[in-house]
Amino acid sequence: MNDVIVQMKNIVKIYPDGTVALRGVDFEVRKGEIHGLLGENGAGKTTLMKILSGLLRPTSGEIYIAGKKVSFKSASEALKHGIGMVHQHLALVPAFTAYENIVLGLPGREASREKIEKLMEETGLKVPLDALVEDLPFGVRQRIEIIKMLYRNVDILILDEPTTNLTPIETKELFHTLKELKKRGKTIIFITHKLREVLEVTDRITVLRRGRVVGRTETAKATPEMLAKMMVGREVVMKIEKKPAKPGEPVLIVKDLWVKNDLGEWAVKGLSFAVYSGEIFGIAGVEGNGQTELVEAITGLRRVEKGQVILMGKDVTNRSPSELYRLGLSHIPEDRHKLGLVLDMTVSENSILGIHRLKKFLGSLLNLKWRVIDKHAREIIEKFEIVAPGTRAPARSLSGGNQQKLVVGRELSKSPQVIVAAQPTRGLDVAATEYIRKLLIKMRDKGKAVLLVSADLDEILQLSDRMAVMYEGEFMGIAKPEELTEERIGLMMGGYKMEQISAGTKPQPAASS
Amino acid sequence: MPSSQFWIIFKEKLERVAEIVIAIIIGFIIAGIMMWLGGYDPIAAYIAMFEYSFSLTDPYYLAMTLSFAAPVMLTAITFAVGVRAGLFNIGAEGQLYMGALGAIMVASWSLPGPLYLPLAMIIGSLMGAAWGLIAGVLKVYRGVNEVVSTIMLNWIAFWIVEYARVYVYPNPIDASKTISMPPAGRLPILIKGTELSASFIVSLVFVGIAFYLLWYMVLGYEIRATGLNPSAARYGGINPKKTMLWAFIIGGIAAGLAGVCEIAGRPPSYAITTGLSNLMGLGFDGITVSLLGANHPLGIIPASIFIGALSSGARGMQIVTNVPLEMVKAVQGIIIIALAVPGIVRLIRSKILRREVKVV
Amino acid sequence: MSELGMIIDIIEGTTFAMTPLVLAAIGEIFNERAGIVNIGLEGIMLISGFMAVVAAEATLNPFIGVLAGVATGAFIGLIHGYITAYLKGDHIISGLGINLFALGGVAFGIEAVWGVRGYHTPPDAAKVPDLPVINISPIFIAMILIVIGTHYLLYRTSIGLKVRAVGENPEAADVVGVNVERVQLLATIYGAALTGLAGAFLSIDWLTAITKELPAGRGFIALALVNFANWSPLLALGGGLLFGFFWTLGEWIKNMAAVKAVIPVTLMNTIPYIATLAVVAGLIGKSRPPRYVGRPYKRE
Repeated sequence: MNDVIVQMKNIVKIYPDGTVALRGVDFEVRKGEIHGLLGENGAGKTTLMKILSGLLRPTSGEIYIAGKKVSFKSASEALKHGIGMVHQHLALVPAFTAYENIVLGLPGREASREKIEKLMEETGLKVPLDALVEDLPFGVRQRIEIIKMLYRNVDILILDEPTTNLTPIETKELFHTLKELKKRGKTIIFITHKLREVLEVTDRITVLRRGRVVGRTETAKATPEMLAKMMVGREVVMKIEKKPAKPGEPVLIVKDLWVKNDLGEWAVKGLSFAVYSGEIFGIAGVEGNGQTELVEAITGLRRVEKGQVILMGKDVTNRSPSELYRLGLSHIPEDRHKLGLVLDMTVSENSILGIHRLKKFLGSLLNLKWRVIDKHAREIIEKFEIVAPGTRAPARSLSGGNQQKLVVGRELSKSPQVIVAAQPTRGLDVAATEYIRKLLIKMRDKGKAVLLVSADLDEILQLSDRMAVMYEGEFMGIAKPEELTEERIGLMMGGYKMEQISAGTKPQPAASS
Repeated sequence: MPSSQFWIIFKEKLERVAEIVIAIIIGFIIAGIMMWLGGYDPIAAYIAMFEYSFSLTDPYYLAMTLSFAAPVMLTAITFAVGVRAGLFNIGAEGQLYMGALGAIMVASWSLPGPLYLPLAMIIGSLMGAAWGLIAGVLKVYRGVNEVVSTIMLNWIAFWIVEYARVYVYPNPIDASKTISMPPAGRLPILIKGTELSASFIVSLVFVGIAFYLLWYMVLGYEIRATGLNPSAARYGGINPKKTMLWAFIIGGIAAGLAGVCEIAGRPPSYAITTGLSNLMGLGFDGITVSLLGANHPLGIIPASIFIGALSSGARGMQIVTNVPLEMVKAVQGIIIIALAVPGIVRLIRSKILRREVKVV
Repeated sequence: MSELGMIIDIIEGTTFAMTPLVLAAIGEIFNERAGIVNIGLEGIMLISGFMAVVAAEATLNPFIGVLAGVATGAFIGLIHGYITAYLKGDHIISGLGINLFALGGVAFGIEAVWGVRGYHTPPDAAKVPDLPVINISPIFIAMILIVIGTHYLLYRTSIGLKVRAVGENPEAADVVGVNVERVQLLATIYGAALTGLAGAFLSIDWLTAITKELPAGRGFIALALVNFANWSPLLALGGGLLFGFFWTLGEWIKNMAAVKAVIPVTLMNTIPYIATLAVVAGLIGKSRPPRYVGRPYKRE
């Protein structure tokens, strides 16, 4: 066992707000392996690795690198010991060129173009050095980040959910790179919650659940079922009971919609579709393919450049959000912190955001009737089983799951006809996820139309009655989930249109997930 | 459950009060050092300051304190409503000048006596609101940073009012000031022989209205939501541009009203004096008041009395110990700088804790 | 007066009027590039101007006066930088405090030092002499060099890379070992020191007087200039030239007898402020501030 390069012993991390993220984790990585760190959201994977890379300090516990005890005060110290972490949101300066990003922080004499070019040559990681990072696609940015680490002689490379924003093809390229780096003697820690990936690329796996290690195994001996069981703590029966849909009228119609993103580029390119009452229409796809802009355009938060949005038979193109609410639209936004809630306002105040001008909340002086509003908030709290210190406590004091339930509860209290739900279960634990998914199905059964946008493919497959896959602002195809295989969805997510695929492959029976 | 909620909020509020008290103490200590360096006796100066602001034996000084609290209470509302909407509206100074000009304008007309006061208040606050609205329009439609625009507007207002003082409404008897508000248009004096007029009551009422507006009316809800999270406000069907414009308008009304009160309620001159000397600084003092009052109307009332006491006490300080009365502005500056440090209480507590740990 | 003489006067006037604006703007550009906003420029100019007069008069050496102004600026920058970078304080409120403190502190200082209220003129020996032959201040020349030097520092050195990285994405800089807080603090000190130089220029060079209205809004016009220049030192020089030219022209026009008869000077005094507003209002959407400017950088 003298090839152990990283040893973390009994690591405990308690955040200042009292959240216990790690409850005594022992973690070991051997030199030259690709080690998978597997777990659900909130299992503590990222926290553990932030500790290893010096970004966080453990509350207690010891770290040994190549047998020597270390205690990092900062990320740069860890970097000096050859430990580098590639974060999910990449620590690059968008306004800098690739080259500037790679040499940032190095003394002038250590910055050498030739050396970087040589390194790119050797590892096959090619990037345009003089292009601005903000102009480059995510996959290339990730490569820049890896080169930045390698240029600083990192031996232990930590990758946090590196495939989240990659297309299947980019993912393949990344895995190829990782195997290449392994050959060169680098040690790689690969954080993920994706079973297929961890099985495909790693040598050994450590599984975390709720801040504890629940399993260690050689990848060769692991099966998806066993990993899933360890990760979730029970058999993954994420199959949700659902009756067949009884679609009615088309209540949300989108016609030839064109929308631009913040940078003024086309993000939605001529989309047309309809959502019927009593059905869930799912939009899958890798994030950043125009889903956000599509949702914002439909909900009145972003300008429609061309085309139409028709809600309940009325043309509502470029109408204000408040008008849309009045017509029966509800919007569960993808980012509850940025859009869905005003965190520093109270639960009561948040419970009326968007409906605060309803007559029942208003007095004769245009004053808000706080007694009625508090009652409204209490009803949401009770109905949606929200754990909150009280209606006058700030929304900030609620946990993520309860914050999301508050948003969902408020949106459903608008008694909507059309519900637009974007990433409704992101970052939530299993229980809250299940709760919200069941709720959406319940709304469908009540005859509401649900437009579900999610990067979580399982969610789309489970809930949708019909689904589309979005790629670079267009739909690659619309179909019923049971008509699609995972492979075909994967291809569509990677930019192949359904017609192209169908021409070559035979339709296959229902997907097994 | 309600009790845990109560304690969380209570503890937060208590900490905030402690923070403010510490900032004030820091302000006095540093200013004391400056006085000592300047060759004055800081202890005597502070004693004089207290005597001339809160003297228990002579109500005159307390009345003066309250009379100085009145205008800054209003200009504090200007800043506070701005902050609540996510704006740094530091234009109360210029808006106040415009309000005063409006009052003088009304004073120059020949009207039936009872009309002077209400007309002055309406015209003055409208002029203040209009002046604030310029910054609002520039911010909302042209993206101009309100810190820069309001300061520019303060200067423009200064020169316009100064121009009007000399060329439009000069006092034929006394060149050092404009014409005065006629007696019929003056706010009654509350305590004879002092400068405490009903403007204090006007200010209190306005602060009460602002409180109701911010916490009990839809517009206030929208203003606060916009300030705390503009994206969420937009998502909630609120038009942030509109709420910001309203914040500028309400702020302008408050500052304009302060200007009117200084004309209609400040003996002996009831006029604008040379170089706007009787108006100058009242807008900026409002910033201090607002920050000390945690940008909350109910906090602003005690904070304005504190700043009023500083202004009133400064006179005493100058009379008794010769310390220039501008010293109190320096105190205010230091207090604000100290208030910029977040969680000053926690900072000090952690330092103390660390020391205790070391001792153990 | 001949037309040539008038043109020369205006050119010389412009070199004076633009110097404090450009100095303060360059300083502010530098610290904003590192993510720190300092709206206390007005106050720094005022306090530095005061300290410059005190030092120059005490030693009868204008050079020491200039140094005192710069050092005062740097010291205020140290305080503001420490509060914003290390204590994660509110940039705007701290800057407001500096401005308010300056108003009171300098008025107090003038009376404490010279026993007069509000206005003091230093003796000639304390004044920075103009260059021989042409009526231009050596500080103007220094300003040009500072602009070029700051530009070089920002765009051509690894220090500049660090400064800009900290203002764009402090986390990225942090991870690769850049000490975010130290870079921000030093940038703020540098920025405030340049503003201090601007203050000294006002009090012991151009205007040769100290009053509590010494900067007359120039600190805020410099802030507008930062925006106008899109956070680029070279553009700030160009913008400063423009602002300075209009300022000088305004001074000229308002003192012309023909104009004076129609529009009083008091009203004409509004011109630089209106012009500033008009310019800033005209350039919407064209400028892009550093991405992380004005926000306290907190880990975790």
